[in-house]
Amino acid sequence: MASSPQVPEPTTDQSLPAWQFFLLCGMLSATAVVVVATGQHIANVIILSLTVIAASFVGLAAYRTIGPLVTHVVATAPVVAGGRTRAALEREKTLVLRSIKELEFDYAMGKISPADFDEMGGRLRQRAVGLMQQLDHTAGYRDRIAEDVAAAVAAARPAVAVKACPSCATPFDEDARFCKQCGTSLKG
Amino acid sequence: MAALGSYLLLFTFMVAAYAAAASVAGARRRNSRLIESGIGAFYLVAALMTVASGVIIYAFVAGDYTIRYVQRYSDSVQPLFYKITSYWGGLDGSVMFWVFLLSLFGSVAVRVNRERHRELMPYVVAVISAVEMFFLFLMIIHNNPFETYLTQTPTDGRGLNPLLQNFYMAIHPPTMYLGFVGLTIPFAFGLAALITGHLDDSWLRAVRRWTMFSWFFLSFGLTLGMIWAYEELGWGGFWGWDPVENAGLLPWFTATAFLHSVMVQERRGMLRVWNVTLVIITFLLTIFGTFMTRSGVVQSVHAFGDDPALARLFLSFMAVVALFSFGWVIYRLPLLQARHELDSWVSREAAFLANNWILLFSAFFVLFATMFPTITEMINGERLTVGPPFFNRWMTPIGLMLLALTGIGPLLAWRKSTIENLLQQFLFPVALALAVSGGLVAMGVRVWSSGICFALCGLVFGTIAQEFYRGANVRRGMTGTDLFTAMVGLVGRNKRRYGGYVVHLGIVLMFLGFAGEGFSRDEQLLLKPGEEATVGRYVLRMDAIRVTDDGQKQMVTAHISVKDTDGADLGRMYPAKWYYRKHEEEPTTEVGIRRSFAEDLYIVMPAFELADQTASVEVHVNPLVNWLWVGFGIMALGTGIALLPERALSFAAARMPADAVTASLLAGALLLAPAVAEAQHVDGPASQLQIFSKEVKDVTRKLACWCGGCSKLPVGDCACGHCALVKKEVTQMMDEGRDEKAVLAHYVTPPTEHSQDDVHRGESGHVLLSEPPDVGSGRLAWLLPYALGLLGLAGAGMAAVRWTRRPAVAVAGGPSTVVAPELQSRLDDELRDLD
Repeated sequence: MASSPQVPEPTTDQSLPAWQFFLLCGMLSATAVVVVATGQHIANVIILSLTVIAASFVGLAAYRTIGPLVTHVVATAPVVAGGRTRAALEREKTLVLRSIKELEFDYAMGKISPADFDEMGGRLRQRAVGLMQQLDHTAGYRDRIAEDVAAAVAAARPAVAVKACPSCATPFDEDARFCKQCGTSLKG
Repeated sequence: MAALGSYLLLFTFMVAAYAAAASVAGARRRNSRLIESGIGAFYLVAALMTVASGVIIYAFVAGDYTIRYVQRYSDSVQPLFYKITSYWGGLDGSVMFWVFLLSLFGSVAVRVNRERHRELMPYVVAVISAVEMFFLFLMIIHNNPFETYLTQTPTDGRGLNPLLQNFYMAIHPPTMYLGFVGLTIPFAFGLAALITGHLDDSWLRAVRRWTMFSWFFLSFGLTLGMIWAYEELGWGGFWGWDPVENAGLLPWFTATAFLHSVMVQERRGMLRVWNVTLVIITFLLTIFGTFMTRSGVVQSVHAFGDDPALARLFLSFMAVVALFSFGWVIYRLPLLQARHELDSWVSREAAFLANNWILLFSAFFVLFATMFPTITEMINGERLTVGPPFFNRWMTPIGLMLLALTGIGPLLAWRKSTIENLLQQFLFPVALALAVSGGLVAMGVRVWSSGICFALCGLVFGTIAQEFYRGANVRRGMTGTDLFTAMVGLVGRNKRRYGGYVVHLGIVLMFLGFAGEGFSRDEQLLLKPGEEATVGRYVLRMDAIRVTDDGQKQMVTAHISVKDTDGADLGRMYPAKWYYRKHEEEPTTEVGIRRSFAEDLYIVMPAFELADQTASVEVHVNPLVNWLWVGFGIMALGTGIALLPERALSFAAARMPADAVTASLLAGALLLAPAVAEAQHVDGPASQLQIFSKEVKDVTRKLACWCGGCSKLPVGDCACGHCALVKKEVTQMMDEGRDEKAVLAHYVTPPTEHSQDDVHRGESGHVLLSEPPDVGSGRLAWLLPYALGLLGLAGAGMAAVRWTRRPAVAVAGGPSTVVAPELQSRLDDELRDLD
């Protein structure tokens, strides 16, 4: 059923996902309906049970409506405000690249004269290069990705084992005064 | 049951209101909890509508005749299938079905785009919810399908209109509604983009598929409507320019225009305001279509009755929508400014401009012509008729122009085409078109419109074939594969373009079907058992007239054997008349059709005399009609290709053709399945046995049937009983020596002289003419389309002129600077990766 939304699980435990719970309820009720409606025409029974299953989706959707109001949903990061201009630049670049491709294809199919092709292609390439430069200037993704990766690596492996005891090479903490292995003084 | 249904609708209305309010509030306060909750409520509307639909279908199937709607549109002897489809058999249920589809469709759209277009979502939810609220409101206060009889509950229903008890008619409304409803989604996204101000192209990308999908269903619905009209109405044609048919056609035109102009925005960043406007207009036209069908503002075969309150509600809703959305467009105009530049008038952009102009003109022309009788009645009280001849007169050249553009557009390059490459591009298609026309002249074809149409079909076909062949060749050169693989790769790399070409091919085939109409022949025969008659290359022999009964209806069937002129047996055909219980006074006419790709033999029996076994038989020979349905199959295939997901063909090149071909074959099989179709046409009471001369037919073609049930077909083509009376009277007058003018004047002059006359039924005036006369307000009908067309042309031309002037400045400072080689090579790398 297209109306069945999959509820983002608010908790991290492995309990029954909401949609399975509601579907199960729906199927149970449908079974009950079939038992109650014995003797009726088969089409009636089928439609009734389908309706009851649909009703279970009402429950699910209601849960989905009320859920976010009462639980703490971890809000996913909102769109970066400054990111839009960047995205727009990227988009425009793809657009220009596509146009170049298209132009080359049209040229290969003999739809454009060489002079026009050179002129228009040159203009488009110019614009593409301009956009690429602009993208580079706004501290390109490369740098930002590199920073992000570095930060992520640093976060994943907290700063242990940066310093080691000069005599036995056992790593020691920032605030240690003596080595915990050989007792060498670490001050000075 | 009924109470449960009513409460469900009420509750759904509240939930929809909450969804709209929570989303807007959430978006404004940047509260993601409220937004999430709003989306949840949006899904809840869909779930609730599903349950409500289940309830009403159950009421139909179980025969709960305490509910008025159920009682009115079904009865106990109806087959189960029609009991279920009775859900959308009437006004109240249609509105409910509409909301149901919209909620489902909307939920899917929101679910799919939730992550990608997070910033638009709350407003999309709000807009769709608001539309749902309007229709729910309509149901609750005005057309509640769950309304019950207070006293004296009937024990059985009245039964669905016999005309609607037909397979195509049963599935025609849902496909049509899917198209209508689907077009709400682009509107919602467009409006959300306007409200949030995120007016780059991202909303277009979200919307493209939905538009294509809805466009497909709209086309499917229109085709089903044509099949139905062809097989049911029994006048030998497939499109009668009935207001309800037109209602479906209006958004089809604008949606087609949108699908084309989107490409210009994507490729060139132009036409932003125009695209938003098109989406809004399309949505308004879908609402207007629903309104036109349901309010009875235009008299028509299946408008569901007169209802001024409903009309007021719809009109105010449309006014609010128009004000609100165009208000936003104006407010956001600064953001919608785009760099427009038109390098040349001979370019793809210019072709798209022309295409948009023609499509928009078609939409407004059809709208205007459909509404014209209502408008003149409002202005000076005179009701005129705008019948099929008027539409055909205008739409034939327009259609041909559009077909020509279909052939020309793809051959032009973006930005600029030169004489040289024009020559190179047009050589083959034009040669093909000329060859076709030469062949036609040699064969002695003298119907100019059909002739031009065939030639243009040749042109478009040449264009498409050349595009595929050359494209594949280029690709073969680049990748070094064989031609077929290159072809598949070509389609895979640019599915929308080549899917679009396949759709064009379907259009060509459909136009073949339209052109075939120019060669149709019809003849009227009076046959007794054992008698033979020759029509074209067929010899018909009446064997017998039999009467049978199946409990639901009584059937009078003529058994006619058909032979070739060479004597080869072609089988038997069974035109019939069916008298449904409780609808005996309006028998339906069942058409016998013998199909082939070259032509259809189409037999109707408008009247019969059981006592001496005489039947009056109308025989139509319709060439090429079946290409219409085949063309639609091809169109479906093309849309399928264009809709394939991004990477569908990159790995499994062989999978697409197999799947898509099966699908289109299935569609084709579905359409062609009933070899001898059962067709229906509700008739007036008195059908008469008589044969009319060609002169009488020609004169009566200038009159529009006014029996009230035949959608104003020309009397000469109409097969109903009332028209038989008119034709009889005209025969008498012409025998007395009156000429055409005098005969027409007889019907147009006021009724005082012949008020008691049964034929006139109290009608007179210009309303009886099938085209508006060239006097008084009728002249407007001829003038305004010209004015409209010229205005549109002037608008498009002015925009084009303005855009051509601009780049002169831009080019001056253009590509003089030298680009660093390392940037160049990076650009080359990126270009290679793009493939």
